[in-house]
Amino acid sequence: MTLIPRTLIDGYLDETLSPDEHAALARWLKAAPENAQEFARAVLLHDRLRGELLAQAAAESETASRLSRGSWPRRLRPLVALAGVLLAMAALVLVLLRGLAETPVSAAVVELNRLIVSSTRPTDRTYQITVEDRTLSQARGPGSEPFDWGRPPKPPLDGAVLHVRGKNQFVLVRMTKEGLPFVTGSNGKTSWAARPDGPVRVSPDLTRFNRDVPGHEHAMPLSNIKEALERLRTAYEVQLLPVETAEGDVRSEERSTRLLVAVKKRGYRGPRRVEITYDVASGRIQQMRFIKMPYGPDRLTLRLDLNEERDLGAAFFDHASHHAADRTVELEE
Amino acid sequence: MGKREGKESIVDGQTRQAMKLWTLAQPVVSAFVTSVVRDFTARDDVLQEVAIAVIESFDRYDPARPFVGWALGIARNQVGLYLRRLERDCLVFDNALITCLASTFEAVPAEGTRSLDLLSECLGRLDARARELCDLRYVHDLKPIAIAGRVGMTANSVAKALQRIRDQLRECIEQKSALQGGAP
Repeated sequence: MTLIPRTLIDGYLDETLSPDEHAALARWLKAAPENAQEFARAVLLHDRLRGELLAQAAAESETASRLSRGSWPRRLRPLVALAGVLLAMAALVLVLLRGLAETPVSAAVVELNRLIVSSTRPTDRTYQITVEDRTLSQARGPGSEPFDWGRPPKPPLDGAVLHVRGKNQFVLVRMTKEGLPFVTGSNGKTSWAARPDGPVRVSPDLTRFNRDVPGHEHAMPLSNIKEALERLRTAYEVQLLPVETAEGDVRSEERSTRLLVAVKKRGYRGPRRVEITYDVASGRIQQMRFIKMPYGPDRLTLRLDLNEERDLGAAFFDHASHHAADRTVELEE
Repeated sequence: MGKREGKESIVDGQTRQAMKLWTLAQPVVSAFVTSVVRDFTARDDVLQEVAIAVIESFDRYDPARPFVGWALGIARNQVGLYLRRLERDCLVFDNALITCLASTFEAVPAEGTRSLDLLSECLGRLDARARELCDLRYVHDLKPIAIAGRVGMTANSVAKALQRIRDQLRECIEQKSALQGGAP
């Protein structure tokens, strides 16, 4: 047999096996009752996965549908619809009377679009991460690190530095209790982890080492600012707060900043609220705060402060730039 | 006669008992069908036929014997009917192996299926990428090669990622099950 049984089973379930591999699986299943039992356990999980995910998808769809049509009793729906039409007409008249003025929400969406465009400027960005608050789940004690599928505890996020480039290149530098750097990253072709000790691990799977970067769980990865901002457009209500100028500064537009606040819509997952402070003139984001952001079983309130924007060099996002040349490198499949 | 009374008269006590037993046996029977009929749409059709046959022939069920084994026998027949409609070169497992698998599923302990109730919690801990792959595979019924085109990965990487996700979920279920004092 060329493949280990586990791979054969998974390949069978995903229909990726060749005829020879099918035959090898059949031989393995007939070889011992324990093999068939292992196979049955894998199929039970596979089968249940589908049922569970379909049920969740149906529930989310139902929630969205209910939100869109409201939760009024059936007999009241015509009245509600009529009231909606009247309100819409009144709103239209109001808008016409006000000279087609922009609503605050649409202005906020326009600004958000500007920030998204600004975030695609081809430069590297470095952020300082500060964990302002962390709500521990009841099942875990204080001091324990975020859930990571049974792996050893990871260094804290508070005080970490995050470098990002484009949509899938990042370097996250955290410090261990001993003051040694624990670095994970991706150069867009491979992802990698350089612990203070042991081999450097490299994988062609770009998702392999990104779970340490908050936000990846709910399509708001901090390693991809553009994607995170685009998520705000779909899953959040955004609004703009008034322009704030530097104290005593009368040249309001040059040094002014503005706060865009995004509050999560019902039925979506992710941080409850996101606050973005940006430079009015350039659209450059100076700070992002994520309130109650899911991170494993925890909820973090964390802040990213922009340290600098500059080209970090061609090789910065390669693992070799972050460890000694004599370190052992292990390539994972 | 009100609507409610009308509905109650349609479902008699025997059918209600059959449905109750079927609900308990369904996870194992469903997994057995999936073990042979991997295409989810075809599997749903076969499982529906099994459910109808179970309800319709419930008067032939001997309560002295385990219901799961009886329902698996019906599923075995329905799977056989399905396979007969397929081209010969589509068959992966022979009859002897399918019978062997039916026996194996019949012997799955109840706690083996009960522990899968923890799957929902474990799914909540998947990262966004893993969740996306799961949705594409299980909600949209896509194979790794189709998923690869959508997420910018190779088919091989998708297959390996799916394998890793299932491993993670299995570990999570085992850990949670052990914490609750049950067998994984």
